[in-house]
Amino acid sequence: MPKIEVKQAGLERYSTLKPSVDELAEMLPAVKGEVDEVNRETGVLKLEFNDTNRPDLWSTAGAGRALRTYYTGWLPTYEFFSRPGRSLPDEGRRVTVDPSVNEVRPYLAAFALSGPAMDAVTLDDLIQTQEKLCWNFGRKRKSIAMGVYRSQSIHYPVRYQAVDPDTTRFQPLGLEKTLSLREILKEHPKGVEYGPIVAGLPKFPFLTDSRGEVLSFPPIINSAHLGAVQTGDQELFVEMTGTDLPSLTLAVSIVACDLADAGYTILPVTVEYPYDTPFGKTVTFPYYFQEEVKAELGFINKLLGINLVGEEAQNALAKMGVASRYGNGILTVIPPVYRNDFLHPVDVAEDVAVGRGLASFEPERPSDATIGRLTDAELFGRRVRDLMIGMGFQEMIFNYLGSRRDFIERMNISGTDVVQILNPMTENYEYVRNSIAPNLLEAEGVSGNALYPHHIFEVGKVVRLESSHREGSVTTNSLGWLSAAPDEGFNQINSRVAALLYYLGKDYKVKESSDPRFIPGRAAEVWIDRKAQPEFAGVFGEVHPAVLENWNAGVPCTLGELNLDVLAR
Amino acid sequence: MDQDTLVKSLHPLEVKVLLTFGTGVPLTAGVLGEKLGYKVGQANQAFSWLCGKGLAHETGRTSKTVYEITELGKEQLAGGTPEENLLKALDKGPVAMAEAAQLLGLEQKDMGSAYGQLAKEGLVAMDDNKRIVKKAAESPRLKTLRTLLQKASEADLDESVLSEDEKAILSANAKKRGAAASVFKVSERETVVYELTPEAGSAVSAIRAQGVTGDELGALTPALLASGAWKTGVFRPYNVAAPPSRLVIGRRNPYQEYILGVKDKLVSLGFEEFDGPLVETEFWNGDALFMPQFHSARDIHDVYYVKNPTHAKEIEQPWLDRIAAAHTNGGDTGSRGWGYNFDRDFTRRLILRSQGTVLSAKQLPKAKIPGKYFGVVRCFRYDQVDATHGADFYQTEGIVLGSDVNLRTLLGLLKMFAIEVAGATEVKYVPGYFPFTEPSVEVHIKHPVLGWFEMGGSGIFRPEVTKSLGVDVPVLAWGLGIDRMALMSLGLSDIRELFTANIENVRLRRRS
Repeated sequence: MPKIEVKQAGLERYSTLKPSVDELAEMLPAVKGEVDEVNRETGVLKLEFNDTNRPDLWSTAGAGRALRTYYTGWLPTYEFFSRPGRSLPDEGRRVTVDPSVNEVRPYLAAFALSGPAMDAVTLDDLIQTQEKLCWNFGRKRKSIAMGVYRSQSIHYPVRYQAVDPDTTRFQPLGLEKTLSLREILKEHPKGVEYGPIVAGLPKFPFLTDSRGEVLSFPPIINSAHLGAVQTGDQELFVEMTGTDLPSLTLAVSIVACDLADAGYTILPVTVEYPYDTPFGKTVTFPYYFQEEVKAELGFINKLLGINLVGEEAQNALAKMGVASRYGNGILTVIPPVYRNDFLHPVDVAEDVAVGRGLASFEPERPSDATIGRLTDAELFGRRVRDLMIGMGFQEMIFNYLGSRRDFIERMNISGTDVVQILNPMTENYEYVRNSIAPNLLEAEGVSGNALYPHHIFEVGKVVRLESSHREGSVTTNSLGWLSAAPDEGFNQINSRVAALLYYLGKDYKVKESSDPRFIPGRAAEVWIDRKAQPEFAGVFGEVHPAVLENWNAGVPCTLGELNLDVLAR
Repeated sequence: MDQDTLVKSLHPLEVKVLLTFGTGVPLTAGVLGEKLGYKVGQANQAFSWLCGKGLAHETGRTSKTVYEITELGKEQLAGGTPEENLLKALDKGPVAMAEAAQLLGLEQKDMGSAYGQLAKEGLVAMDDNKRIVKKAAESPRLKTLRTLLQKASEADLDESVLSEDEKAILSANAKKRGAAASVFKVSERETVVYELTPEAGSAVSAIRAQGVTGDELGALTPALLASGAWKTGVFRPYNVAAPPSRLVIGRRNPYQEYILGVKDKLVSLGFEEFDGPLVETEFWNGDALFMPQFHSARDIHDVYYVKNPTHAKEIEQPWLDRIAAAHTNGGDTGSRGWGYNFDRDFTRRLILRSQGTVLSAKQLPKAKIPGKYFGVVRCFRYDQVDATHGADFYQTEGIVLGSDVNLRTLLGLLKMFAIEVAGATEVKYVPGYFPFTEPSVEVHIKHPVLGWFEMGGSGIFRPEVTKSLGVDVPVLAWGLGIDRMALMSLGLSDIRELFTANIENVRLRRRS
C-alpha cells in the first residue's frame, strides 16, 4: 500500500480546504486513504492509500484534487490532452524513437512545461510522485521509469535509442566522472539498485537531444548536466520509458495534471515510433486513451441494494471526479484523464456507492436460510482432541515453518519428502513440516523446567512431497503427541494408542518399526484393519536418546503420530 | 488465627502432645516416643508444626555420640565375624592360612588381620607346619562385640551409657565416614529440646472445649469402611482453607478454544466450513482472484515459492481457460480485462497459500446457491517475524452466495459478525480496496475493551472472479482478523505467543 508524505500547507493549497488532522482522518476514507503518521512540528503528514489502481492519489496534488472534488463539488477539466484523431500542436517538441529500443524498452511518453519558478513544495512533490509511480505502479522502474530535465537547454528532436553499453559514456547525476553505461551499473548507487532491469540486455536504452547531449540512461540515471533539476527552474521536460504504453501514458497524464494544478502550462510533445503501438506510430502526449464505460443503472441499483434515479447516480459519480451521461437506463461514464480503473460496470457501481457515502446504506441481514456445517475432518479432529485431553494431554498449536536443522537434522531423518521453500526470508523458516514430531520435541527441549510429567499433543496439518500428486505434495491432517517423564516408556504409550483407537472404533495391528527417530525394538507401526488390506496409519515408540540429545531433552520421551485422514476413513 | 481455626489446623500428632504435656516441661523426640509411642519422624513433625503455630519453642540443644550398626555389622551379626568364624573352623583341627582364607571366603589381608588380632590375645598360634591352631576356648572381647552388635541392631548405642571396655571395642570397630567397611558407624547426634509455650494453654482449652482428643479419624480408608469402625469414630475436620497443591490437567489450547468458538458461531449463523491444502498454485492464490500477474503484490518477495517441484502438473479446466480469458480481455464476464498476455506457465507455479481467499475461490465452482461458506485456515506470508507477524498464521474467510445479496446485505453481514463474533458495540464502514472485490468495504468496530479497530475486509467478488468460476449470482466475500481479538481474550500482545512451544506458558494461559 503506497504511503506518501504531504505538507499540510500543500494539501490545503490543492484541496482548497483547511481540515484539521482529525477532520482529514474523517475525510480520507472517501478516497480509500488514511492518516498513518502526523508530525505536528513540521506539519508533515504520512498518508496511506489502499487502492493500487489509483496512482493519481499518490501525490499532494492528486490527494488534494480528490478531496476538493469530493467535498467541494469541483469537477476538474484539463485542456492539454490530445485524443485519438486529434493531436494538439507540439511546436516542434518531438522525440524520435529508434527501432533499436523495440526489443529493449519499447515505449516512451513525454511532455514539457513552463511556468513559475519551481518552489520546494512542488519540486519535492514531483520527486515523490516519480518515486511512488515508478516503484508501486511501475514495478520498481521495471515497467515505468521517469526522468525530469531542464528543457531550455534541450535541442529537439530528442532521440531515444539502444546503444552499446561498453562504448557509450557520460557523466551521471551524482558522480564527478564519466563512466560507460556498464560501469554505471557497478559504480553508481542507482545502477546497483536498478541495474538488474537492463543488465541482461545486448544494448541499453539511451536518451540524447539532437546535438547528442545526454539526457539520461533510462531506467537508471539522468545525466549530470541536463538531468539536474532544482528549485527556481521554470521550464522542464518530463519523459517516461517502459514496457506498457497504456500504463506509461496514464502515468504521464497524472504528472501533467499534478503540475497543471500547481500552476504550470503543460506543453505537448510528439513521439514518433518506427513501429506500431497501441495508439499508433505518432502519439502526442499527454494523450487521453481511456474508453467510455457503459453501465445499466438497474445493475448498479441491484448490486448496491438501492434505487437511484439517473441524476442521483450522476451526482454521486461527480463527487468522485467522474463525468457521465445518462439515458435509457444506461449510465455512460467518461473516465477522468488521470484514472484508468473502470474495467467493469461494478467499478462504476463502487464509485456511485462511495460518492453517496457508505453511511447512507442501511445494513440488511442476508435472509437466505442455509445450513451450517463443519468439515468431516474438523469433526473427527474434535473427537481425537477430546480423547487426548481425557488422557491428560495439553493441546499445543505450533508454527508449520521451520529450519532444516529442526525438521530434518535433529530428527535423524533423511528429509527427502520435506517441502523446501525456494525464497526463505531466513533459514529459520525454510521448510514446511512433514511431521508434528519436531515441534513436540522442541517444546520438550525448551520446557525442562516445567513440572513433570509432560503430556502434549497437536492436531494439525503436515505436508509431504508426493510426486504422483498434481501439486507434487499432499497436505494431511495429523495427530502428534509426546509424553516426557522419568518413568515414561513403551508400555505407557502402547496403552494410550490402544485406548485412543478403541474409542475411535478402529481395529489395528502393530508391526515393529525401523523408524530412526525411535529406539530400535521399541517402536511400532500402526496398521488399520481393512477388508482389502491393512492401511498404514502412523508410528509410536520410545524416542531415541540420540534424538533427545539433539533437542537437549533430559527426560525419557515417548512420541506418536497418526494420520487422521486415514483414521477418519 | 481464631481458636476454632487453630484447633482445626491441628494434626492429631500435635493434639496429643498438647493434651499430654504441660507448659514448661522439656520435650524431646525421645520423650514423645516414650510417652506417646511416636517414631522419631512423627515427633519431629509434631514439633515442627507446633513451633510453626507458636505453640512450642526450642529451648536448647544437647549433643551426644551414638553408634549405629552398619550393613556389614548386620551381616556379621547373622553370619559371624571373621574372627569367630576362624575360631570355629579351628575346632576341627589346625588349618593353613591360605586354606582358612579360602574356607571362610576371606581375602588374604582380612584373614591376616583376623589371625593377628586373635594371636595377640593368645587365642591362636602357628604350629611348626605353619598351620593355625586354637589355644584358648573363650574370648571376652568377641563376646562383648557380639553383645554390642546385638544391642545396636535393636537401637543405636548411646556412648554415655557404655562402659570403658565397650567404648574401646566400639571405637576399634567404628568409623565416622566410609563406615561401609566397619561394623559400626559413629556419629554426633543432636537432641533438640522443646517446651510448650503459654499459648498452648489456651489451645488446650479450645481443644477440650471442642471435644477433640487426637484419636479422630484421618483419611477414610477401605479398611475403615470394611470394618465399620467409622461408625464409632469421629472424623478429624481438615483445614479447608489450606492452599492446595498444583494439579496439571489435560486441556485444550486456549487459542484453539477461541478458534473453535468462532467456528461454532459461524456454523450457527448458517456457514459451512471449507478447508484445503497448504501448497497451492499461483492460479488459485492469485490468478483466480483476478490479481494481474504483473501486480506488485505478486513479486517473488510476497509469497513463498516451493523449491521442488516448481510447477503443478496442470490446472483444472475449464477454470484455467476462463480465468485466462478474464485477465486477457474479460472473457464473457463483462469486463475489459487487464489487457495482457496471461502466462500459463507462471500460473502453475507452486507456492505456499498466502491468503485464505484462495479457498473461497476454490469453493465457487462447487458452491450451492444460496450458500454460505467459511474457513479458519493457516496462511504463509513473506514477512519479517515480529510481534504482529508470524511465519504462518490463521485467517478467517468466507463467502455468501445468493441472487439477492448486495452491498446492503454485505453491510448487514458485517454488522452481524461485529456483534455476534467480535462483541462490538458500534460499527463503521469505510471504502476499502482488494483486487478481487468491487465494491470493497473495511469494517471498523468499537470493542468495549479494545476501542476502535479494523475488524476485517470485505466486498462483493468481481464478476471476473465469479463468472469465470461458473457463478452467476453476486458473492459477498469477507475476512475477519480474529487474531487481535484472540490475543486480547488471552491477555497477550505478541502473536508469536499464540504458537509458543513453551509448555508451561500454555499450561498457565487462560481466557479472560
